[in-house]
Amino acid sequence: MKQAIYGLVLYIFLMLPPVVTLAESVMAIHMHMQMPLFVVAGFLMAPFFQKRFPNFFAKWNSNGVPGIILFMIIVLYWLLPRTMDEALTIPAVEIFKFISLPFLAGIPLRDSWKKLGSLGKNIIYVSLSVLFGVMAWLYIASPTQLCNNYLIVEQKTLGWGFVFLALAIMIYFIQTLFIDKSEYE
Amino acid sequence: MEAVVKNTFGSKVNEVAGVNKQDARITLTFFTVAFIAFFLGCVLGLLQGLNRAGLLELPAWLNYYQVLSGHGVLLVLVFSTTFMLGYFLAAFSHTLGGLLPKVRKMAWVGFALMVVGVVFVATTIIMGDASVMYTFYPPMAASPWFYVGLVFLVLGIWAVLFGGFINVADWRKKHKGQHLPLLAYFATGAFVLFFFGSIGVTIEVLMIIPWAFGWTETINVMLSRTLFWSFGHTLVNIWYLTAVSSWYVAVPKLIGGKLLSDSLARLVVIILVVLNITGGFHHQIIDPGITEGIKFMHVFMSLSIAFPSLMTAFAMFAVFERTGRKKGAKGLLGWIKKLPWGDVRFLAPMIAMIGFIPAGAGGIAQTNNQLNQVVHNSMWVVGHFHLTLGVTVVLSFCGIAYWLIPHLTKRVLTPKINKLGVIQTIVWSLGMLFMSGAMHWVGLLGSPRRTSYTTYGDNATALGWDPYLLFLAVGGTLLIIGAVLMVYIVFHLMFKAPKGETEFPIAEAEEDASETPKWTERWTLWIALMIAIVAMAYVIPIVDMIVNAPPGSPPFRTW
Ligand code: HEM
Ligand SMILES: [Cu+2]
Repeated sequence: MKQAIYGLVLYIFLMLPPVVTLAESVMAIHMHMQMPLFVVAGFLMAPFFQKRFPNFFAKWNSNGVPGIILFMIIVLYWLLPRTMDEALTIPAVEIFKFISLPFLAGIPLRDSWKKLGSLGKNIIYVSLSVLFGVMAWLYIASPTQLCNNYLIVEQKTLGWGFVFLALAIMIYFIQTLFIDKSEYE
Repeated sequence: MEAVVKNTFGSKVNEVAGVNKQDARITLTFFTVAFIAFFLGCVLGLLQGLNRAGLLELPAWLNYYQVLSGHGVLLVLVFSTTFMLGYFLAAFSHTLGGLLPKVRKMAWVGFALMVVGVVFVATTIIMGDASVMYTFYPPMAASPWFYVGLVFLVLGIWAVLFGGFINVADWRKKHKGQHLPLLAYFATGAFVLFFFGSIGVTIEVLMIIPWAFGWTETINVMLSRTLFWSFGHTLVNIWYLTAVSSWYVAVPKLIGGKLLSDSLARLVVIILVVLNITGGFHHQIIDPGITEGIKFMHVFMSLSIAFPSLMTAFAMFAVFERTGRKKGAKGLLGWIKKLPWGDVRFLAPMIAMIGFIPAGAGGIAQTNNQLNQVVHNSMWVVGHFHLTLGVTVVLSFCGIAYWLIPHLTKRVLTPKINKLGVIQTIVWSLGMLFMSGAMHWVGLLGSPRRTSYTTYGDNATALGWDPYLLFLAVGGTLLIIGAVLMVYIVFHLMFKAPKGETEFPIAEAEEDASETPKWTERWTLWIALMIAIVAMAYVIPIVDMIVNAPPGSPPFRTW
């Protein structure tokens, strides 16, 4: 339960107005720090909900697939330049971001991950890294400004951030193929 | 089954013979190089000190900046690296039941590559073609072979590091569910940090080589500096981690006490590994081309490294007090008298710790933007790292040498050599006190670092520095005496000291110690966190430096 409290504290911290302003002032921080941290907050808060509503998770997410699909949809949605722009200009979309990332991405991710078999996990690793690779290409190569709120330089920076993310996930994935954790722990 | 048999056999051998001879030879070879580099480096240091004080004019064939490059390279790249690798290999050998034959081979290959690298680097410096100082950043360009040497050096280091990883992985396979012994845990942390910290500088060197050969015309100066400091800063903390490992593991045993908290020590390692690399920006506070926002963020990143140091200070003094009280100390500070001050194996690391109090305070001060403006590139900074490196790291390393070398050579530290060691420690500390104190002060008065003696046309301010610089020379002279004593002791312990058994001191946990949590062994998690933090800190400024880069610089030879 300690984790859930940390998650809640992180969640509230991320929504403090000065923190929001700072995090959203730089494109890369907006997408690669603020948004993942919301997911992390949800991830940490998940045990609370899992204990509270075990039947709900058992019924709707018995094999982990629905949860992970929901996670992917939410992530995909927030990868679009348009949605980031709207979060900055339309308060309702901003609120949707604050709710969707922790509760519709973070919590389902935690609930699904343990239930997924290695095939499911591998699919997620590969599709995330491919997806991030495509996003990297989009943001680096785009000759025009994709967001009204962010300059082209920031866009390129974000693109390189995606390159690193994609690489990191790829390396981690390959590592899981070669190293059997149970041999060590 | 076979593995188990082999393993118990290995530890039996260890118990009977004390050390594995083949492993000992590796460490002793690394130490030999380390202390030769130490001696030569200190001689060059003395030349600089005398020159800065206006007492010695260097001949035309021995340029001040050439000496300075040699001093920096020998002491911060060669001495500390070879010592650290040798020490941690010995730690692996002792705590994990001997090095694997494969790992031993990798250590030797690594050593050979490092020697080749050092030969290239030293030759170009001696020929006067590489007076670019140990930081070697563009636009100053050395002979391309200098950088080729650096590549060999890095490859050699990597070979040793990967040897270490293989040994740890093998041990973990054979000891499922157990915690890595604390000293091996420190070594693993330092090796992980070393590997990831060296990636940036490797990229930098690979950028520089074609530029130094003239195949590419220009180079991105800001990018090179940033990549360099991601490494340079990390290196500093690798030695710190090395020094600290002996404080946690060896010192309590030497004073007859116990380990305060295994979990706390491991937490210190984790924090240092995760947070370290991004500290590099505090060396670039005055650099142009980095926005204020980024610099502001990095103040926090830099200060966060002070946190584990404070934890360490707390842990160490708690151990001292407990041990003293167990021995019957009374009153608030009575335990201080119960400490074995006459034992050099305690005295040296103790002074190292005490030295870190002003050194750390100075570091916290100069990482702040406004205060950094006052001292940046002044002699203050040189004073600062002669405290951190020259006192904290060097004395800790000497402290290790006093027991590790006799342990490996099956000799003993005689009372006579112990006494000489105490004298060495005191002479060295006094020397550093004079030298570093003078450097700090004269730096505040404006005297620049990396500048040979000049009075700027008898300018009054510059003349006002002279009295302080004289103290610098006095300190340097004491230091060279300390260096000679140390090198004598090292080689005495290697070849001359009487035969006997010396123990590898490893502190035991307190009886009521709490269980070390499992998560401390999740190395993948810590490495992932480290990469995430590095990405957060570096992606934005580096892309900015590349995308908005100025035309770039051709190579310059400024000497
Ligand atoms: C006999 C002992 C020593 C003396 C007399 C000495 C003296 C000096 C002096 C005078 C400088 C400043 C030169 C300048 O900026 O113009 C210097 C720089 C330096 N010293 Fe030492 N030092 C000694 C030992 C050490 C040790 C043991 C270490 C580290 C393990 C060390 C590391 C350095 C480094 C890294 C620099 C900076 C080089 C640069 O700016 O490129 N020194 N030393
Ligand atoms: Cu630093």
